Amino acid sequence: MTENVSRRAALLKLGVLLNALVAVILAIPVVGYLFSAVERKHRYTGWVSLGPLAEFPAGQTRLAKFTNPQRRPWDGKTADIPCWVRNIDTQTFQVFAINCTHLGCPVRWFPQSQLFMCPCHGGVYYADGARAAGPPPRGLFQYRYRIQKGQLMIKAGELPTLATCGAIEPIGEKS
Amino acid sequence: MKRLQKIFEWLDQRLKIGAAVREAMYHRVPRSSGSWFYVFGSSAFLLLLLQVVTGILLALVYVPSASQAWNSLQVLNHDITLGWYLRAVHGWGSNFMVALVLIHMMQVFLFGAYKYPREFNWVTGVFLLLFTLGMAFTGQVLRFDQDAYWGLGIGASITGRVPLIGAPLVHLLLGGPIIASDTLSRFFDLHVFIIPALLLGLVGIHLLMVLKLGINEWPMPGRLVRRETYLKEYEDLVQRDGVPFVPDAIWKDMVFGAMILGSVLVCAAVFGPFGPRGVPDPTIIQAAPRPDFFFLWIFALLALLPPYMETPLILIGPIVVIALLLLVPFLSGEGEKSWRRRPVSVLTVLVVAVTLGALTRFGQEAPWSPVMNGWSGLPVPAQYLKGRSALQRQGAIVFQEKQCRNCHSLGGEGGKRGPALDSVATRLTPDELIRQVLQGGGNMPAYGHNLSPAEVTALVSFLDTLHPPGVRPARDFAEKGLPLLDTGHPAKH
Amino acid sequence: MTCWRRLPALLPALFLILAMAGCSSLPGRPGLGPEVQRPSDVMNFGVLYKQNCSGCHGPEGRGGPAFPLADPVYLSIVNDATLRTITAQGVPNSLMPAFARSAGGMLTDQQIDAIVEGMRKNWAKPGILAGVTPPPYSAPLGDPKRGTQVYQTFCQSCHGPGGKGGAKASSIVDGSYLGLVSDQELRTDVICGWPHLGAPDWRSDVPGHPMTAQEIADVVAYLAAQRPKFPGRPYPGQPSRRRK
Repeated sequence: MTENVSRRAALLKLGVLLNALVAVILAIPVVGYLFSAVERKHRYTGWVSLGPLAEFPAGQTRLAKFTNPQRRPWDGKTADIPCWVRNIDTQTFQVFAINCTHLGCPVRWFPQSQLFMCPCHGGVYYADGARAAGPPPRGLFQYRYRIQKGQLMIKAGELPTLATCGAIEPIGEKS
Repeated sequence: MKRLQKIFEWLDQRLKIGAAVREAMYHRVPRSSGSWFYVFGSSAFLLLLLQVVTGILLALVYVPSASQAWNSLQVLNHDITLGWYLRAVHGWGSNFMVALVLIHMMQVFLFGAYKYPREFNWVTGVFLLLFTLGMAFTGQVLRFDQDAYWGLGIGASITGRVPLIGAPLVHLLLGGPIIASDTLSRFFDLHVFIIPALLLGLVGIHLLMVLKLGINEWPMPGRLVRRETYLKEYEDLVQRDGVPFVPDAIWKDMVFGAMILGSVLVCAAVFGPFGPRGVPDPTIIQAAPRPDFFFLWIFALLALLPPYMETPLILIGPIVVIALLLLVPFLSGEGEKSWRRRPVSVLTVLVVAVTLGALTRFGQEAPWSPVMNGWSGLPVPAQYLKGRSALQRQGAIVFQEKQCRNCHSLGGEGGKRGPALDSVATRLTPDELIRQVLQGGGNMPAYGHNLSPAEVTALVSFLDTLHPPGVRPARDFAEKGLPLLDTGHPAKH
Repeated sequence: MTCWRRLPALLPALFLILAMAGCSSLPGRPGLGPEVQRPSDVMNFGVLYKQNCSGCHGPEGRGGPAFPLADPVYLSIVNDATLRTITAQGVPNSLMPAFARSAGGMLTDQQIDAIVEGMRKNWAKPGILAGVTPPPYSAPLGDPKRGTQVYQTFCQSCHGPGGKGGAKASSIVDGSYLGLVSDQELRTDVICGWPHLGAPDWRSDVPGHPMTAQEIADVVAYLAAQRPKFPGRPYPGQPSRRRK
């Protein structure tokens, strides 16, 4: 009798163990699949063109857009990302992300007052992207850029936030 | 009639659910609980069923892809017979459901219904509230318009503030590097599969507990809950002064539920569906995203918090609030139930309600948001231009052209972020005006590099005219009586 | 139990609602097209003007601090190409900003065209200058010395001696003022006047004696010559200047 009980208990344990094993094996693809969105080895960012330099007159700040390097065919318009290009002296540029550093709303450039303003909580930035007023914790996010065959190229690819600005550098640093 | 009964018996011999149904229907509830105050929960459940039905119907047409979601909503709104009406019912059903869940929760709190032995009714209720809010938020995302797009940006920005694991969390939230198809699919998954499954499962448990533990009796001041005696007291009460749930108590639930459903249908017919607003094209930067009604208070909170408190409060605040809510029944699981003898609880509810109400009101006004078209779209009030010199009129143009109006109002129109300037001349002397314009300060950017001296002079000469008639503008004591500005006003020559 | 009997009464109401919905005349039914247009698709002149122009030029094209665009005299001497250029690219050395995308603004070329067309359609009065030969919209500056004479004849009665302001009108030689308006703007002001402020056009400064094209060019040159090299400096009210 006792022998039987302990035997059944052992078989139950075996059942639990087998199921736990299968669950672990199943968990590997599930977790791997779920976490596939997490970036590894900077695969999200790449160099994209913003168009010929002639589109960005010296001394002015203009809206540009690029198609995100990483995208799906069914992304539609959401893969088109805008940014602000400031041509300082035809050689030096600043390319700012559209997203306010506070909560990511689209900042708008006002050439008259030489300010960027955010429509959400009133963050304001100066022409060089430095924080001027409002809640933003820092200046505008800046993309790295280079000039190649008369094209303005930037390194872009992910929505800039305070954590995901890998391709983006703090204000004041030269690229 | 007899034949019908036979069929039922035949079925029940095989299905074996008749007893359970009968038990649920005829279980005795305290007579005092058959009250109009006890109808909110059942109506919220009714709305959940409405949401399930309308949601399934909408999913027949909706396309969860970033390029087509907005278009499919346009088709629902315009091309499919009564598609707009189903969208409206789903949207208004959502609003009513959130409201009813909140009211239900408040009633349960004030009536002490969370106390022993019903602690887990409360705990599951807290999760049901969170899931309901989760449905409302993810539903707003599925509307995939401009507001949804930038709302996701806000969500990602908040997530990006998590220390150390911020970046992976942002990618997990968005399903990739940017707000696009994978993001929408993620929220579709949450809205259509994950949260509804949790919601329905938890509602089942919640209801089962109400059934097994009995509905809370009407709280009497002075009748204290004690762990040792409560269960027997409740049993006695139900036996002594109880009524069967069907039909003595349920008719009020049904009448109220029908009224709520009717209100949803009427609201949907009169006010129509919510959005979708602008097309979700990030290159349209003329966007001023606003959250839906039940999240306006968060929008307000994010604007009003001082920057140094922002990150800790955004990240820790929700955890603390949820933990506090979950702990309520364990902190005061016994004792007085009646709100008449629980002033702290009543005060808490009042404070929370007033705070949320005030923040929501603020969120509707959004005085912290600049009016982005104010500079070019809001005329200078005529009375501020009457009899002004050529220079002062140029100053008014400078005021508009330099986007001052985006943050400052004149005649009640314009941004509310900075102070209204209708009587600024009574507060600041011309020197102080110049200093404020050039150096900024007090949350105003410095315009020093962005204005020419002529623009500053014109602007200040205009601002110096902004005082109520009969009130002298502010002047330095030492220079009182001296005309400080060469305003070109005829009277001064 | 009586309430059970009321329930069926709700059903007709529900059917009524659905019937009305079938008639598609419910107030909640969304109107045609998307609720919010793409900003670049807005072509209605009223909307475009209200969003982009009324801040300075006033509602309905008048009553603002900037030049009243709804002045039919102005609209009859300026051509569409000029209006288009001004709207699209702004006016250098003045406060008129550029609105075209190609110049850093937010409007498409089609929207600029719609604004120009709308101004003509809504505010121009063809034939208002019938029988009159108006002075050309633009011309080179004349002779400032002769302009002094012209000023005394045509302007001094209101704007006072030397342009420093008089009983009926304010100073038009203030350095900061001149620093903010272009020569063309001065010329337009002289030709068209500011009707709603009581400033007459070129025909009626002296009744019965319209200004000639030469006189206009001269008086504009006279005003332009008084523009200081560094307008607006030092700020009036600065102690350094006050203590003198």
